[in-house]
Amino acid sequence: MLEMFEYDFMQRAFVAGIIIAVLASVSGTFVVLKRYSMISETLAHSALVGVAVGLVGGFNPLWMAVLFAIISAWLIEYLRSAFSLYSDAVLAILLSGSLAAAVIIVSIGGAFNNSLFSYLFGSILSVSSEDVVTIAIFGTLSLGALLFFSKELYFIAYDEEVAQTSGIKVNFLNFLLVSVVAVIIALSIRVVGSLLIGALMIIPSVSALQFRVGFLKTVIISLIFGLFSVVSGMTLSFYFSLPSGATIVLCVLVIFIISLIINRK
Amino acid sequence: MKFNLPIFDIKNLTFIVKGQRILSNISLEIFRSEYIAIIGPNGGGKTTLIRMLLGLEKPTTGEVKIYGKKLSNFKEWHKIGYVPQRASHVDSSFPATVLDIVKMGRTSQRGFFSSFSETDKKLVYDAMAKMDILDLKDKMIGTLSGGQRQRAMIARALASKPEILILDEPNTGVDAASQKNFYALLRKLNKEDKITIVFITHDIGVIADDIARLFTINEKAIICNNPKQLLSCQEMSELYGIDAHLLHNHKHEH
Ligand SMILES: Nc1ncnc2c1ncn2[C@@H]1O[C@H](COP(=O)(O)OP(=O)(O)OP(=O)(O)O)[C@@H](O)[C@H]1O
Ligand SMILES: [Mg+2]
Repeated sequence: MLEMFEYDFMQRAFVAGIIIAVLASVSGTFVVLKRYSMISETLAHSALVGVAVGLVGGFNPLWMAVLFAIISAWLIEYLRSAFSLYSDAVLAILLSGSLAAAVIIVSIGGAFNNSLFSYLFGSILSVSSEDVVTIAIFGTLSLGALLFFSKELYFIAYDEEVAQTSGIKVNFLNFLLVSVVAVIIALSIRVVGSLLIGALMIIPSVSALQFRVGFLKTVIISLIFGLFSVVSGMTLSFYFSLPSGATIVLCVLVIFIISLIINRK
Repeated sequence: MKFNLPIFDIKNLTFIVKGQRILSNISLEIFRSEYIAIIGPNGGGKTTLIRMLLGLEKPTTGEVKIYGKKLSNFKEWHKIGYVPQRASHVDSSFPATVLDIVKMGRTSQRGFFSSFSETDKKLVYDAMAKMDILDLKDKMIGTLSGGQRQRAMIARALASKPEILILDEPNTGVDAASQKNFYALLRKLNKEDKITIVFITHDIGVIADDIARLFTINEKAIICNNPKQLLSCQEMSELYGIDAHLLHNHKHEH
């Protein structure tokens, strides 16, 4: 069983995967509570534009993914607050727009290849040491920001207006949350892939919510679910040579179904 | 009262959306330790007025001052406790116990990362005791009845130790006995703790003896400054749909 750790690439993939599981499930809880699940899909597609620019232009795709996801996150928040556009529509428009842009960039650059495939569905083979360092640094900063403001973010998720009238800087914190989510999504596409990261961010929290317990317990349950899915998904990916994003999402779906059954009324 | 700086000072407030006048030229002041009731027909603009006081909605023209400051310069929001009209309509799966909810009332005054201090804890438990929900503290908010939720929302507002409590029809869905207790509690908060109370309600008759002034809002405002006039004000306000347009927004001398 542990033979997989004899490979350096597996060790790297596991370190990266575990950090990502923690980040995705903690940030996912806030995203789900704000009824903002769709944002993870949209930001993942915006990150893909960054990957395309990176692959075609010869920049580090991971850094470009972070950059483009953050720009997209700010655009979403800006459109939402300045024009009070219905956020679902904004997210859908940006999602398709990003995908179109990404496809055009890779087509023009002639970068339709295996490397792109790994960014779509995740690959444990592709995580470099440089990626692990990037994920660890940005990951720690993102998690720090989330924990630092967790009480405020929780209040905002519950009732944005009452939070604002009690003196909480709602606009700033909404921007901060989407920025952190953007960074986490961009970091995750190496291991989970941009088409599947949304599921890893949302499903552990939605499963944890089925247990109907207080906030702290919900976060902890979601964290356990996220970690379990990533570890078992990557193991399956290793032994069956499948894209890691797909196996991780299958594991998290199994957890979701079990949570639904256990907690059915 | 005359020399007292008003908590809220509203001048010539008008709110127009999509060509429709919601509020016209409203001027009023709310003073420290006052107990004010706001009545008016559905859609009369009561909630809108409150939202403008709190900076949640921008007036088309006119000005709101809070403790003598413009809303944008005001920092001490913890002095204001607000329970919105739809407060008890929560997503039933939201992961919050009653204790989680009431603790939110301390969020803006707590230091970052700092754990819940003894003072925070005391204020949270006092607020729950006042609203008589201590025994519900570990219950999930989604499993409570409408009235119990409403009390949790008010406890959260009280936990921030407000100087003014703004309640937008907090009694919808509360049984008669609890309502009586609730009115007694408001009276006590006002008389003993000197908390200013702004209470939007449709049950004006029951609290007529408690309140200092009555605002009737139906696009315009009619202000009754003299408690002795309350009854005639009330009769007048029963016709508010018509009278509000005939009467000017006049203020009596204090
Ligand atoms: N931002 C807005 N956009 C459009 N219409 C608005 C807006 N704000 C308020 N209104 C309208 O203003 C009117 C007054 O609404 P408001 O909620 O203030 O009434 P109310 O006196 O609180 O009524 P109720 O007793 O039913 O709570 C309503 O017709 C409402 O539709
Ligand atoms: Mg209202």
